[in-house]
Amino acid sequence: MTHLRTFSLSLLLLTFIPSHAGAEPTIQEWAKSRVNTGLVQALNQRDAERSRFSRVIQPPRERRLRLLTSVPSYDEKERAFASYAIDVRYGDEWRASVSGCVYRKSGQIYVQLDDEYRPAAFLLGEDVAPVKGVCLARSAPPPRA
Amino acid sequence: MMAGALLIGVASLEYFQPQHLAPFVIEKLPVRFEALWRASLKVHVASALFSFPLCLLLMTRTLRRYRAWHRWLGRIAGMVVLGALVPSGIFLSFEAKGGASVAIGFLLSAGIVLVSMVAGVRAARRGDVRLHARGMRHVVAQLSVAVTSRALLILLDVSGVDPDSAYVVALWIPVLGSAALAEVFSGRLRFSEAQFTPSISRNPT
Repeated sequence: MTHLRTFSLSLLLLTFIPSHAGAEPTIQEWAKSRVNTGLVQALNQRDAERSRFSRVIQPPRERRLRLLTSVPSYDEKERAFASYAIDVRYGDEWRASVSGCVYRKSGQIYVQLDDEYRPAAFLLGEDVAPVKGVCLARSAPPPRA
Repeated sequence: MMAGALLIGVASLEYFQPQHLAPFVIEKLPVRFEALWRASLKVHVASALFSFPLCLLLMTRTLRRYRAWHRWLGRIAGMVVLGALVPSGIFLSFEAKGGASVAIGFLLSAGIVLVSMVAGVRAARRGDVRLHARGMRHVVAQLSVAVTSRALLILLDVSGVDPDSAYVVALWIPVLGSAALAEVFSGRLRFSEAQFTPSISRNPT
């Protein structure tokens, strides 16, 4: 009986210990991981598979992902997103390659071409149209509930 | 050269897959007159894939021996090159990556093909075989730029040359080199014997 009481008390105490495993990652950590797996690695794989005997620019030696914000931005529909940029390296020279944004809730990644944003699937060969109103931050953050 | 054409052919199949964008298209978009540009690209790729191997076959001794076949296949090749390949190539050159220097390079190549094909066909109709052969050598030489340029792009990339400079070099060297080679094979460009005279004379007098 004493053991059972001790065990119950231990369980009760355990519930008060903050769990790091369940902690939500910051927008930076999450966005970096999402764009890395959803775009950077996919682009690397596409480059590895495509023929080099082509007029397309030769695959870069390396790609580097940068997040452009440490806090989330919000679009007109109050959806949170983070902006990113991908640089590529040819020889010793790094150059800007792709920029865009990733949405926190849906995980949707967009890439910028001129003034338009298209789903990142475009860079992987899908014929997708530009999407209006995405990746554009509204001037002030939405009010917190 | 035929192997190179085959490699390009296999790699170009993706241009014709519905709802799919080839890496070359992805790299180029957005462009002005996108629908027209995409249609021109497909016409250019299809006509090149057809006419380049056909022109290579027409240069073979076997096909030159069968005059009727040579004449009819030559007419088909001429129509495809003049009616589809050159016009689509000229249109695409205005959107060429690499700016004006690359656009001028493509336009020069298209111009050589156009003038040489017309001159070659007219010479054939007059029965001037020598001039016909010269014109067709120039046509095939410029069509071969598709292969040599791609090979040079790989070579320059391996050598660590910046991709923007590589693109310009890998176009101009094959265009000018192919034109020069066509002239050499036509016997127009001959190096003087003096250039090849050994520095140490064998019979000093």
